[in-house]
Amino acid sequence: MLNEFLLGVGVVTGLNAFLALLLVLAERTLSHYGPCTLTINDEKKLVVPGGQDLLSTLKREGLFIPSACGGRGSCGLCKVTVLDGGDPLATEIPWLKPEEIARHVRLACQVRIKHDLRLQLPREWFAIRQFQATVVSIRDLTHDIKELRLRLVDPPEIEFQAGQFIQLEVPPYELTDEPVYRAYSISSPPSNRREIELEIRYVPNGLCTTWVHRHLNVGDPVTFNGPYGQFVLRPGNRPIIAIAGGSGMAPLKAIFLDMAEKGIARSARYFFGARSRRDLFLVEEMKALETRIPGFQFIPALSNPLPEDRWEGETGLITEVAARHVPDASGAEAYLCGSSFLIKAAIAMLTERGMPRERIYFDDFG
Amino acid sequence: MKTAARRLFLENLGANNPVFAQVLGICSTLAVTNRVRNTVVMSLGVIFTLTAANLIVSLLRRHIPARVRMMSEVLIIATFVLLFDILLRAFSPEISRQLGPYVGLIITNCIIMGRAEAFALSHPPGLSALDGLSSGLGYAYVLLLIATIREILGAGTFLEMRVLGEGWMPWTLLAMAPGAFFVLALLVWILKGWVLARPAAEGSPS
Amino acid sequence: MNPFTAWFALFFAAVFTQNILLTNYLGMCPFLGASREIKTSFGLGAAVVFVMTFTTPLNWILYHRLLIPLGLEYLGLIVFICLIAAFTQLIELVIERVSDALYASLGIFLPLITVNCAILGASLFMVARSYTFLQTTAYGFGGGLGWMLAILAMAGIRQRIAKNRLPRGLEGAGIALIIAGLMAMAFTGFTGITAPS
Repeated sequence: MLNEFLLGVGVVTGLNAFLALLLVLAERTLSHYGPCTLTINDEKKLVVPGGQDLLSTLKREGLFIPSACGGRGSCGLCKVTVLDGGDPLATEIPWLKPEEIARHVRLACQVRIKHDLRLQLPREWFAIRQFQATVVSIRDLTHDIKELRLRLVDPPEIEFQAGQFIQLEVPPYELTDEPVYRAYSISSPPSNRREIELEIRYVPNGLCTTWVHRHLNVGDPVTFNGPYGQFVLRPGNRPIIAIAGGSGMAPLKAIFLDMAEKGIARSARYFFGARSRRDLFLVEEMKALETRIPGFQFIPALSNPLPEDRWEGETGLITEVAARHVPDASGAEAYLCGSSFLIKAAIAMLTERGMPRERIYFDDFG
Repeated sequence: MKTAARRLFLENLGANNPVFAQVLGICSTLAVTNRVRNTVVMSLGVIFTLTAANLIVSLLRRHIPARVRMMSEVLIIATFVLLFDILLRAFSPEISRQLGPYVGLIITNCIIMGRAEAFALSHPPGLSALDGLSSGLGYAYVLLLIATIREILGAGTFLEMRVLGEGWMPWTLLAMAPGAFFVLALLVWILKGWVLARPAAEGSPS
Repeated sequence: MNPFTAWFALFFAAVFTQNILLTNYLGMCPFLGASREIKTSFGLGAAVVFVMTFTTPLNWILYHRLLIPLGLEYLGLIVFICLIAAFTQLIELVIERVSDALYASLGIFLPLITVNCAILGASLFMVARSYTFLQTTAYGFGGGLGWMLAILAMAGIRQRIAKNRLPRGLEGAGIALIIAGLMAMAFTGFTGITAPS
């Protein structure tokens, strides 16, 4: 009886041990790529351990590639030219234009470093830095959006353009064992080089938003890198149509405050949408800009006003509200920031009203 | 804590029902529901395995290394299924023969692995066991519903006792594979439509 | 019947008349969940074919050459699932090394395959029906192919009706089940070629 028991346990354990050993050996031999040399722009050479993706490897070497989705292949921002890396994967194709594919552009998060590679990176990326900062204030803007103000420690100042974003590092905590990065637009104007403001909306189970809303305190140290992004005001005189919802306010607040400070006088209409009054914020600040920027109009709208809101402003989905105010968009340019749904709807509405697609600029963190 | 437990229990029976809401555990659902008696036995097996596996996984959750997570869960689940299989063969060889390999396939029942990963790994043992029990019950009643329809209409019997008269022409299609798919589809349609219709959909983007 | 015909008859039965998905209901979860697009279904189907073709005979060897001689048949369940898990993980490592493109289309499905009831089911049926080693090769390969056939057909149909409006509650799983039922009806029309069972 005991013999049978021992035999049974022994066979199962032995078999599993054998299979486990096989797997360990396989991983040692198959997944071991050894050191690889990355040659950047034909000048800089980096020797890195192989086997990881290009995005996180470069990040570890201090070279920050823009990315908003954390390496999942769902934002398309980490485009890098890889001269001998092979063909793009199916996950990259939706993000690459045919001429980019011909130029060997790949998404850094989808390129696995298996051998030496030759890369080409834009010069500006070498200027992206990592910053250490301290939390100076955390203030509630709405029931689910907090404004985070950070004072830079090292380096003590940051130079950026209004509308750009940074990548906030979330350290390991209850919801994650490894640090993760999430992109947030800077909502303070570039004139303030020592402090930056971010708007962070709470998403249930969101790794970064839970950390900020439930764990972060004033005085805590924080790490971020940047600045990134092309969502900046284009030079020129075209009238501006800006449409945003929720925490999409952030980059546009930076852009308009910057306009006011620099005395840029361009006609601009900023449509900001929320569900009900408790989701609206910074209304007075935005309205105040109407006196500082000639030609600036702030038009908030609620899609589901509650009776107790006693709302007398515009109602409806923000894209519909904008549509009512802009019968002809052919001469203007547009800046959009919000959910994918909002951006899709706004693009459709604007192109219908005559705006060429190239003049629609947007920030979509998906 | 009491209300959280109650809410979990009710959710697993209704809005988060593994079969018609999450669409898990379908394989066995279709295979055994041609006879109510087999369904009862299978449900007992699933409830047993779900509760026990969830409990053990939850107790060990801080000690399982990330790399072997799936393998450990599989081993724990396989042990309990094997236990149930052997017990069944000992006490009810006839039913064991009828159910055949489907008892062993409880291991790969997505509900069990799914709840272990989604719940037991991040919740305390008491709650995890309750989650296993309620998910199992949620699974059981849906299957019994289907089995009742299939056996009565497809064979004229219920729990092996003749229910419909001798002149009843059995709807053989219900006793076969296609019938199972159709009955389940109908049930999913009704239950999902009813459960979905109640809370107002949160549609507007902000 | 000469051995070649017998092998082919079993293979044909495994693909069509005793289709492991439509007749034995195995492998339904990914079938209902992941079958919206032909491309992903092809990757998933190929992964299943590959794993089933190799693990079923391997499990036969373990069962008949290790467990039976030692009188440990009752441990079959545990041994089978461990082999399947180890095999899929091994294959994932190999594919990851050999080809990025193949990994992107196939490799990501492999962890899911471990808990696919069809793979384990094939091994269990192989034992229940007392197949010989040769019969097992036919059954493993045919079973996998049949599963892939079913999921490809399902994906094709779903892609076709993707634009159509459905009653709410039928969307997703509901309509997939109805399509599966119709397919199962069609496949019963193949009866006439039976496998030893």
